[in-house]
Amino acid sequence: MGIANPVEILRRLAAGRVELIVVGMAAGVLRGAPVTTVDLDIVHRRHPENVARLLRVLGDLDATYRHDPRRLRPAESHLVSPGHQLLDTAYGDLDCLGTVGEGLSYEDLVARAPQMDLGDGLVVHVIDLPTLIELKEQAGRPKDLAVLPVLRATLAETLRRS
Amino acid sequence: MTDAKPAAAPAPREPDIDDNGVDLAQIRAMLDLEPAERLARVAQFTNALVEMRALNGNRQSG
Repeated sequence: MGIANPVEILRRLAAGRVELIVVGMAAGVLRGAPVTTVDLDIVHRRHPENVARLLRVLGDLDATYRHDPRRLRPAESHLVSPGHQLLDTAYGDLDCLGTVGEGLSYEDLVARAPQMDLGDGLVVHVIDLPTLIELKEQAGRPKDLAVLPVLRATLAETLRRS
Repeated sequence: MTDAKPAAAPAPREPDIDDNGVDLAQIRAMLDLEPAERLARVAQFTNALVEMRALNGNRQSG
């Protein structure tokens, strides 16, 4: 893994007009949770035109499958599927998720992912904390359950401030 | 004898750690940052750990 720069990945995806939602712990961090993560998880819109735009940006990012010694590159057939594409890029790990949770797609989630302004004109959809908590509860794996207290406390503090 | 009103009791201080052991002060500090700064702070910390591990020859230790 090289030097991670998730903001640069998002900047390039936005410049390439890729429709996506930031999910996972990067979303938790953007929403204020003090947790560490080493990858950027996105749910991308699986419409063919969006997948074509995503593929172009992934090519620019030199994205390859990170668990495959052949360093295969993602193809359109992978990105239109509901599966998870776990990639290594020039700016760190990027997971492109066709769906999350119980088959939830970009269209299912976008209303629960208000846009956030990351500065310099970069605006991205980021899953809200209640939905992120719901997804972690549904996943129910030890690694998901472990972060729930921090996410719930972050939500409580956010609500207290609003 | 004066008519001075007693000083208002200071507002109770919010606890820094909740019942689950979550560091609420860290959450407050994160919420005080802009979103991009939050992500940059975590990435910077992670990158530093990765760099230290590389300097240590990526050795695993128990």
